[in-house]
Amino acid sequence: MKMFRFGLLFVAAFIAALVSGFASAAPPGAAEIVIGSLNDMTGATSDVGKDYALGIAEAIAYVNDQGGINGKRIKLYQFDYGYRIPEALTKYNLFKKFGAKAILGWGTGDTESLSPTITKDKIPYVSASYSAHLTDPKKSPFNLFFATDYSTNARAAITAWFDKKWPNHKDFGTRKPRFVCSYMFASPYCSAPIKAIKDQATLLGFEIGPDHDVSLFALDTKSQVLAMKQFNPDLVWHGNTTMSVSATLRDAYALGLSANHIINNWGFDENLPRLAGEAAEGAMGVTVCAFYGENVPMMKNIVEYAKKINPGVPQDKRLTRTVQGWGAVLVLADALKRADKAGGDLSGPAILEKGFETMKDLELGIGAAPVTFTATDHRPAGKVNIYEWKGGKFTLVEDVDVKGRWPEKWATEWLGW
Amino acid sequence: MSYLPCGVYHERYSQDHAWWQTNFVRLKMIVLGLVVYVVMPLWADAYYLSVANMVGYTVLGALGVQLLIGFCGQVTLGHAAFLAVGAYTSTLLILQVPWPAFLLDAGLAYPISILAAALVAGVWSLLFGLPSARVKGFYLILTTMAAQFITVDFVITQYVSQIGGRGQAFSLPPGTIKIGPWVIDNERNVYLLMIILVTLTTVGLANLLRSRVGRAWIAIRDNDIAAETMGINIVKYKLLAFFTAGFIGGIAGAFWISNLAAISPEHFPWSWSLWLVGVILIGGVGSLYGTFFGSLFMVVIMELLTFAVMSLGGAYPELLMRLNFVKESAFGLAICGFLLFEPNGLAYRWWQIKNYFNLWPFSY
Repeated sequence: MKMFRFGLLFVAAFIAALVSGFASAAPPGAAEIVIGSLNDMTGATSDVGKDYALGIAEAIAYVNDQGGINGKRIKLYQFDYGYRIPEALTKYNLFKKFGAKAILGWGTGDTESLSPTITKDKIPYVSASYSAHLTDPKKSPFNLFFATDYSTNARAAITAWFDKKWPNHKDFGTRKPRFVCSYMFASPYCSAPIKAIKDQATLLGFEIGPDHDVSLFALDTKSQVLAMKQFNPDLVWHGNTTMSVSATLRDAYALGLSANHIINNWGFDENLPRLAGEAAEGAMGVTVCAFYGENVPMMKNIVEYAKKINPGVPQDKRLTRTVQGWGAVLVLADALKRADKAGGDLSGPAILEKGFETMKDLELGIGAAPVTFTATDHRPAGKVNIYEWKGGKFTLVEDVDVKGRWPEKWATEWLGW
Repeated sequence: MSYLPCGVYHERYSQDHAWWQTNFVRLKMIVLGLVVYVVMPLWADAYYLSVANMVGYTVLGALGVQLLIGFCGQVTLGHAAFLAVGAYTSTLLILQVPWPAFLLDAGLAYPISILAAALVAGVWSLLFGLPSARVKGFYLILTTMAAQFITVDFVITQYVSQIGGRGQAFSLPPGTIKIGPWVIDNERNVYLLMIILVTLTTVGLANLLRSRVGRAWIAIRDNDIAAETMGINIVKYKLLAFFTAGFIGGIAGAFWISNLAAISPEHFPWSWSLWLVGVILIGGVGSLYGTFFGSLFMVVIMELLTFAVMSLGGAYPELLMRLNFVKESAFGLAICGFLLFEPNGLAYRWWQIKNYFNLWPFSY
């Protein structure tokens, strides 16, 4: 009987919470703009997703404290979807039900999967996926992001190594440099820039070896590294996130693979040297914005809000992912302000045309390349900073201007892949 | 088998064999039909429909698992592979085959691809069912898990998803998913397609289960040696069970592409196979009702949990973000709880409730 009463009490509490939950999902007030955010705190990419999610919440608090969108506050609904695509779809529809004006998304898998739906619904979707597949406005006009796309990043990384490291190699001038890619084949994020980086490798005159499949969850990659050794590459592209990239670097170091490493943006952050130790020395990677605590105009606010909103997270555990979260929020907030100012219409097409597509060399103050969107090209920028972990700190190797060096290919060939 | 209500007697075999045996049940099914076919599409908004679509997708996926585990006793932990085969077959047929214009105009590409997807997934499932002729129990679990890794992680990721050079993610151009003149491009149409497919597969499977084939499956489940001594060709019927489960899985996969108009191997992780087994464990192993109850429980309760937590979102904003931890734990806890306290699942509870009322007022 006692058990039954307890059960009844539990059900009553659940129903009460449910009713108030439905009530809180009522349409927002006129002075509120609803934004949805999909994040990964528990799934395959949670190693970088947690910090990004914190950054999103902190940046929204900052925007609201600064007066919101021309006086209107942003109401954020933030959900962890655990990198599961069916979950992303229902949460996306939940955001629509809440009347979300725009959505902050996460992975390439779900962003590319949702892309046809987003195009149909005309809801601006600012993702943490910088896949170049999303940059062609003819195919996916409402998919946007603030950073250089993966393909441009990959082209820049291989170019920087070719410019700065290859000439110092003992075999320079006698043979072609050898190059392989290591990434999770099944992951759309990891495989997104592979075609582009191989195209760039061919352009620069590399000899390309076979690809190696490394899972995002990998802790042991010895068999892949041993297979790489058969080809004896001079350069390896790592397309995964930090955890599995550091596992590969450790194994490459332990097994004596004499190659340099270039790493995509989501595999290159403050955690890499912590996880890979000595093996990270000399590893080069793509950065799309400043590292946490670096001297850029917005960093004071970023650190202040990190301390204020999430005081329980130690400062030395914060990553560049926080700054990336800020980037997504700042670019969206700027677009909303522009659209609001241009007539107050906050429909999807208005946010796109009067907001995003009016941005020209927009400085976000977070160390990112200036952002430009046009009606025919949604690649935000063409310049990429390539850093190297050397002597206990990240140092700039080269600021590669992909757009400036290959203007014709950039304009006519490279859009959308 | 439920008891008949007090005072209802059958006089003919046809009454005994009828699906709906009393007026009350007929009325109940008509009301249910009206709710799912008329009220839901007219009343529900896109969010409710998308939750319903997830329930339907889970049902379609779990029906095959229910057939294999619940009715034929063949434990499977790789069913997402057959969903993947169905989804990719359907997508590739739509995207890659140079369909004659008249077929495209008549909107026949997608329906044909559903049928082809079901057949291909059925044959693929049959291949991985072959070891069941020799092994059972834990060993069969391992061979079905191999189906998952060989199919999704190896064949689809490395080869199939490279076809056409699109990279990993395939997306279907708007307007390609249509049946006749009916373009399936919003939640409501996806819902209608789902409900039609769920009805067809459920009716088909329910009828199959009470035929000679179904009785053979159940005999194999209860005791395969006894079944063989009775003259049942157990290899044939086990393989037929794998084929049928794969066939339904293929339909589920082909349906899934209408929901998103895009697929990648990431849509069919191993955890989804595990999830489907969880669905039937909670719903009730060996019961078609159980598949529905389990799917409703796993999808709807979890969504309701989101709303319940949202009321506290104002005071504890991070609670929404922590919800997934709670959900994952709730899933594990629910399976443990059901195995301990309700090992026959929700379907058993439903059966008890029905009998209680049927036997009223002599329900002791």
